[in-house]
Amino acid sequence: MLIEIKNLVKNYIMGDIQVPALKNVSLTIDRNEYVAIMGPSGSGKSTLMNILGCLDTPSDGQYLFDNVDVSTLSDDALSIMRNREIGFIFQNFNLLPKMNSLQNVELPLMYAGVPKAVRRERAMEALERVGLADRMDHKPTELSGGQRQRVAVARALVTKPGILLADEPTGALDSKTGVEIMALFDELHRDGNTLILITHEREIAEYSHRIIQIRDGLIFSDEKNHRSNDVEQKIYKTRG
Amino acid sequence: MQFEEIVRVALHALMDHKFRSFLTMLGIIFGVASVIAMLSIGEGAKREAIAKYQDLGVNNIIVREKKLSNAELEEVRARFSPGLSINDARVIKEIVPEVVQVAPQAEKEAEVKMGDMSAKSTVIGITPAFVEILNYETEDGIFISTDHYNNSLKVCVLGAGLANSFFPNQSALGKMVKVDDQWLEVVGVMKSKAVFTETVGELASRDLNNDVYVPLTTFNKRFTKDNLLESEIKQITIKVNSSGKLMESAALIRSILDRHHFNNEDYSIVIPFELLKQEEKERQIYNILLGAIAAISLVVGGIGIMNIMLATVMERTREIGIRRAIGARKKDIMSQFVVEAVAISITGGLIGVVLGVVLSFSISWFTDVTTFIRVYSIFIAFFFSVLVGISFGYLPAKNAANLKPIESIRYE
Repeated sequence: MLIEIKNLVKNYIMGDIQVPALKNVSLTIDRNEYVAIMGPSGSGKSTLMNILGCLDTPSDGQYLFDNVDVSTLSDDALSIMRNREIGFIFQNFNLLPKMNSLQNVELPLMYAGVPKAVRRERAMEALERVGLADRMDHKPTELSGGQRQRVAVARALVTKPGILLADEPTGALDSKTGVEIMALFDELHRDGNTLILITHEREIAEYSHRIIQIRDGLIFSDEKNHRSNDVEQKIYKTRG
Repeated sequence: MQFEEIVRVALHALMDHKFRSFLTMLGIIFGVASVIAMLSIGEGAKREAIAKYQDLGVNNIIVREKKLSNAELEEVRARFSPGLSINDARVIKEIVPEVVQVAPQAEKEAEVKMGDMSAKSTVIGITPAFVEILNYETEDGIFISTDHYNNSLKVCVLGAGLANSFFPNQSALGKMVKVDDQWLEVVGVMKSKAVFTETVGELASRDLNNDVYVPLTTFNKRFTKDNLLESEIKQITIKVNSSGKLMESAALIRSILDRHHFNNEDYSIVIPFELLKQEEKERQIYNILLGAIAAISLVVGGIGIMNIMLATVMERTREIGIRRAIGARKKDIMSQFVVEAVAISITGGLIGVVLGVVLSFSISWFTDVTTFIRVYSIFIAFFFSVLVGISFGYLPAKNAANLKPIESIRYE
């Protein structure tokens, strides 16, 4: 098991009231799974993502990542976990605007203490992997939305993390570009990466192989997803 | 993250906002510049004072006749005081063990004439020892020699100012000048001396460059006193072998003179070295004040840095969130912002050093205030600017590091 969550609880304190965001969630995710976590806004899926992504710690329960209990780690240790094991892909890309693609992709390696020459090489590899070999010295403002998201994917990939955690990755893209990104995810999955997709759109969740639905801080359903012909068709088409 | 990386990231951030960075630096620039300028003014005043007292001799004790009115003069003579005399000088040299050399000098206001030019001047009758005691040097020719003195020759040495106005662009040597009613041959010209602008004890301020030096023997033989009751000489300059013995020697000299002058206080003793020490003490307070004002401006500059850095942290909340999400630790963020603050203060400090040096030179160039820059003052100013950067950069950096990654990444 790569990820093992047992009886996870997360409460937020708002003034005097305790607001439960997650009430007793348990789930396991294996290596090389492609999971979509679905739910409407306010369901607790973002809270779950924050905890899975080591951005936040649970109020109660256990989170084992590769048999390491993450819920008890210090702030520094969580930073290191995020750096090495988690590749974030955000809805609004979250690239640093003053840096070009290559520098953006190098950034996680810089915090990992990788020497400059090695860093450059690995960042270039990652950008090639997402098909942006010719956009390395472009700044985010000089790139299209799809290209920006590819840079973000390259940045997530570059440290060879345990999981890729994508939060509404197509939310800011038009549908055609969205499909391209989903096709890229599919390739990454076939390369052996573990993908966790957070979304509220059924259409996007359909690309995954397992869909977990969350409602009101609880797991509502957790089932295997056999991709429809339609989805396979879309992916096939983009591959050309 | 390696230090080099942190510095690069910080410098990039500063270069992205050149104008803002420059404005932030201004406080430090002016702070450092004013520290250097203020210290250089203090140092300049100190050097000027030292030079002034060095002219009087740091190992010297000066015994000077008090300025007395005719009535007072009559009174002290009636009480048997003969006034300062060559004999006093001789006795001091014989009795006081630390005394190396004495130089008695007589003085008289006189008119010096050359052709149709004339000037008011002070004729000073001296012994050859004079030049040895006071570090006076001739620009041209020689000073009054033993030969001149022993034979009471009619020679003189002119002050630089006098020589310049009488003999512009030519040598004064061998020329004759008329002092009162005496024709004297010029054998030497003094080096120009700093104008004495302050009164030191009984030594009134005057322009030494207008003096005329003649052998004391010649003086006594050729020049008549204005007043019969006047003392033989006006001043005795006494050189002691070490500045540590000045006070003891002065006490001994005082008791000798008191005995010779029958306890008439018609003379005063000036110890330039003691006056220098005293003046230095007074000036120290003034210097501390100057330094404090400059230091305040440096601190204000630091507050400016803090202000901008706090605003920058707000503005870059999202960037901080992104960096944290991809693995930056608190201390990575912390050092990034501290280094930015320090980079601002170092750059500002360097510009401030240059400005301070320019300022200090301009002050001495455009005003009559003397300035002198000690290398250590540059280091002090620079060191403090870095210290200010670190201390005022700390709080904003801590704020930045403590931002919660989940919240800051969604910050718009």
